[in-house]
Amino acid sequence: MASTAPDPTTTTTVAAQAIDAVKVYGSGATEVRALDGVTVGFDTARFTAIMGPSGSGKSTLLHCVAGLDTLTSGRVLVGETDLGTLGDRDLTRLRRDRLGFVFQAFNLVPTLTALENITLPDALAGRKPDQEWLDQVIDTVGLRDRLGHRPSELSGGQQQRVAVARALANRPEIVFADEPTGNLDSRAGREILDFMGRAVRDLDQTIVMVTHDPVAAGYADRVIFLGDGRVVDEMHEPTAERVLDRLKQLGD
Amino acid sequence: MWTLTVKGLLAHKLRLAATGLAVVLGVAFMSGTMVVTDTIGRTFDDLFATVYDNTDAHVRSAESVEVGFGMTDRERIEAGVLDTVLAVEGVAHAEGLVEGYTQIVGADGEPVGDPGMGAPTFGINWPERGELNPFDLAEGRAPERAGEVAIDRGSARRGDLAVGDTTTAVTQAGVVPVTIVGIVTFGGADSPGGASFTAFTHDEAQRLLAEPGRYSYIDVIAEPGVSEEELRRRLVAALPGDLEVLTGSEIIAEEQDVMREGMAFFNTFLLTFALIALFVGAFIIHNTFSIIVAQRTREMALLRAVGASRRQVLLSVLGEALAMALGASAVGVAAGVAVAAGLRALLAGFGIDLPEGGIVLSAGTVAAAMTAGVAVTMVSAVLPARRASRVPPIAAMREVAVDTSSRSRLRIVVGLLVLAAGVLLLAAGLAAPDAATVGGGAAVTFIGVAALGPVIAGPVSRVIGAPLPRLRGITGALARENALRNPKRTAATASALMIGVGLVSFITIFGESAKASIDRILRDAFVGDLVIDSGSFGFGGLPTELAPRVEAVEGVAAAVSLRGGPVELAGETTFLAAADPVRLEQVMDLEVTAGDLSALADDGIAVSRQVADGEGWAVGDVVPARFARTGSQELRVAAIYERREAAGDRFISLAAHERHFEDRFDMVVMVAFEPGADRDAVRRAVEAVAADYPTATVQDLGQYVEAQAAQLDAILGLVTVLLALAVLIALLGITNTLALSVFERTRELGLLRAVGMTREQLRALVRWESLLIALLGTAMGLAVGLFFGWGLVRSLAGEGFTELVVPAGSLLVIVVVAAVAGVLAAVPPARRAARLDVLRAVTVE
Ligand SMILES: Nc1ncnc2c1ncn2[C@@H]1O[C@H](COP(=O)(O)OP(=O)(O)O)[C@@H](O)[C@H]1O
Ligand SMILES: [Mg+2]
Repeated sequence: MASTAPDPTTTTTVAAQAIDAVKVYGSGATEVRALDGVTVGFDTARFTAIMGPSGSGKSTLLHCVAGLDTLTSGRVLVGETDLGTLGDRDLTRLRRDRLGFVFQAFNLVPTLTALENITLPDALAGRKPDQEWLDQVIDTVGLRDRLGHRPSELSGGQQQRVAVARALANRPEIVFADEPTGNLDSRAGREILDFMGRAVRDLDQTIVMVTHDPVAAGYADRVIFLGDGRVVDEMHEPTAERVLDRLKQLGD
Repeated sequence: MWTLTVKGLLAHKLRLAATGLAVVLGVAFMSGTMVVTDTIGRTFDDLFATVYDNTDAHVRSAESVEVGFGMTDRERIEAGVLDTVLAVEGVAHAEGLVEGYTQIVGADGEPVGDPGMGAPTFGINWPERGELNPFDLAEGRAPERAGEVAIDRGSARRGDLAVGDTTTAVTQAGVVPVTIVGIVTFGGADSPGGASFTAFTHDEAQRLLAEPGRYSYIDVIAEPGVSEEELRRRLVAALPGDLEVLTGSEIIAEEQDVMREGMAFFNTFLLTFALIALFVGAFIIHNTFSIIVAQRTREMALLRAVGASRRQVLLSVLGEALAMALGASAVGVAAGVAVAAGLRALLAGFGIDLPEGGIVLSAGTVAAAMTAGVAVTMVSAVLPARRASRVPPIAAMREVAVDTSSRSRLRIVVGLLVLAAGVLLLAAGLAAPDAATVGGGAAVTFIGVAALGPVIAGPVSRVIGAPLPRLRGITGALARENALRNPKRTAATASALMIGVGLVSFITIFGESAKASIDRILRDAFVGDLVIDSGSFGFGGLPTELAPRVEAVEGVAAAVSLRGGPVELAGETTFLAAADPVRLEQVMDLEVTAGDLSALADDGIAVSRQVADGEGWAVGDVVPARFARTGSQELRVAAIYERREAAGDRFISLAAHERHFEDRFDMVVMVAFEPGADRDAVRRAVEAVAADYPTATVQDLGQYVEAQAAQLDAILGLVTVLLALAVLIALLGITNTLALSVFERTRELGLLRAVGMTREQLRALVRWESLLIALLGTAMGLAVGLFFGWGLVRSLAGEGFTELVVPAGSLLVIVVVAAVAGVLAAVPPARRAARLDVLRAVTVE
């Protein structure tokens, strides 16, 4: 699953990376350089958090690496696949078969039950889910007794747990999460972060998470700081306090 | 608040555009119909005004019997009257004219025109005096001796005939050879309303069209200084009382009125389809506004929260509807002019030829069509607008609640009551019978089913959609759930389609039942071997000399003619058939149960049991009758028979017919062979005789039945084509609803794309939902169509509708067409869904 990426800055294998990534919105006077030459790799089986002030390009970076959006220039590799060479059909397949997603809100299809939502990517691919793994994931997020419920019958926290389960269900190479706890109270948020942390430690999952919450970042193995579309810093084995300190420094 | 209305219009212009299109189509059809009618009306008005331009008085017999649809019998007048007229002081000139049936035969040997189905084909004498001559010579000259004719340019074109050609003409006196010496126009038209004219010399016209020494009417020109009124006074004073005198203006007005009456039927026929289209449009408008209001609940609540009154919210929505209604109706009226041309072409394709003429877009048409478009839109938008005004301010703070009203008990009760009212109205209308009540009942029935729609949409969609998940996996399951998630919306969308499908399937069932019943009736009643048909229903047909010639053929036992004409019988005008009573039973089994057909003589009448019972007549009773030619008469009931479907309800003997009617033609001649005759040889011999008569078609029973069915098919085909508009509008409705749903589900569809749904899968998702809605509408339509078909056929049981046929094959075709159309309707919204920006869906604003 891991690739021997030609990135000289790391020694471990890299699940995905952006090289000289530039993303420009608009043109002329209204031009916004949301990404301004970002080079970054996300290690396999690690939990990476992306932080930075609002508007610094966090979501844009995540979307581009996850194949939801395309770069203005630069490259994105998922494993050894260069996303720039893929058309819409192949990008869609890549997302379906090799990636998982958790968004801040609107994660679930309202007409499907929790279980159907979890197995949605497999169903779209016309595959039978791996039952053993599925059981493991469902038990990990603790949803066994809610599987037949529709999203409207679940709390916000439960909905996000279903979303995490869906993201993990087809054993993706990477799970991308954009502010997955942004809409939750702190207890429900902690639960979600716990599950994600466990998925990385116990199940060797790779996770990339955008957050503006230092506590959330504290669950990660590594934090990348963005500012004005550039990587301005990074931190290994972060804690909430250290992240908060660093944010304060960066803010000055 | 008006700013809001304008902003709302701009924001929803796409959604409103699709809805507006539904209004445009209905209004365009309506104004198109009225434009066609007005244009034809104006053309005929001008035509008659030109033709009678110089006529100051019109003298004719006061005796006439008319049953409608142009079937009139008027007594002709003695030629001697002309001398009396000419002798009247103030008469500058007078001319006797003879009019009657004539059909000129084209270069291909086929008679030009079809007086049975289309415009009449007249023969007339060429008037001597230019002032009274309605014809303008376009080519050649006037007929001057026997055997010469001038024909109208329309017939010349249709029959591929030119000056100098020789051909034949079918007339009352037989099939006569003629040479075309002139081509004429008629008041500026090539062929007035598709009617054909063949002009003979004076003596020939009398001999061939009527009888020597008789005129149909006399046209008079006054001397200078004598007014129309004065002329009439003098003529009335000089002429016997059984003649009537009309002024020139009166005869113009009468001809124009008669034409308008004929047009009124045609106008009503087409307007019915325009109303159906508007009715379907109403469903779509209602549905679209409901959806838009639901989608804007938060916006409405916010307005209320910041201080807008209910009234203001209501008016802002109604304002949007009004603006759309005005715009769409105006476009519809303009489009109506194009529709008029299309309608004319369509009708021409079905053999209904309308005269050429400059397009007339009257103020009345504009006003009526605009009013209809605006009224339908506003009525349809009222309920959604009220709903919008009832949104509580608090809704701005909450998630939009799912609409749960779809299965309320109130809806079921109200729906059932409306449905019951519709069915009762239908039954009353059928019993009366009254077309407007039937139409109203059908409309109310449709509304009732539509009101129940949300209740049945769930279960029915679940059944129809049951195989979807298995067939199409998650895409199928999602499509089914999408169709089910808002039963009100799905049902309302399907209901619009239900109307078109319901009417088409009803027409199909009715048509098949009618054909089967005709088949049954003819097979039961007809015991002969051949039918020689003219396609005529009373005006013209087969020269009477044909039947005796056929009977003379070796191997033919009997050739029995059937004629008919209008009569006033016991105070009511009706159609009276005539046949040889004795030999009739050789070709037709009438089941005479009282009296004896052989006792018919020339003063007897045979009537069906139904008429006899209805009127309380018994054999031997004397019934008062009035004929155009012979005036008041008495008819003796000589026989009563049970099988009314084949020969009609009443008939007299041929001898009596000859006495009482001006014109004598056979509509059909039925032939029975002698037992043991060589059927093929006899048929060939009969065909050889009939070959001399261009209007005769020799058929065996099977072919005759088929020909009757084909005529019915042609009418049903026209109706189905006209109903297609209703189906088309309903499909627009599906497209619109799906587009609105796709818009509403932007996030959800984006999410599906993000987690790996391909564009093709997304398109399929929309397509399958569309298919489900289409099938739901089709199922509802088939149910209603079956019910209507059953109801009408049952109510017509007394008219010989013995068979109820549910043509599975044809209905299956309807289902398949609706399904394909449903898939096509999904193309635009599916494309839009597939083009959705994934990111817009998953990013939080
Ligand atoms: N679709 C877009 N069009 C124009 N500008 C955009 C668009 N999406 C994001 N941006 C701009 O790009 C910059 C980065 O946005 P984003 O990646 O969403 O930041 P973050 O997630 O860090 O808050 C911001 O200045 C934002 O306004
Ligand atoms: Mg963001």
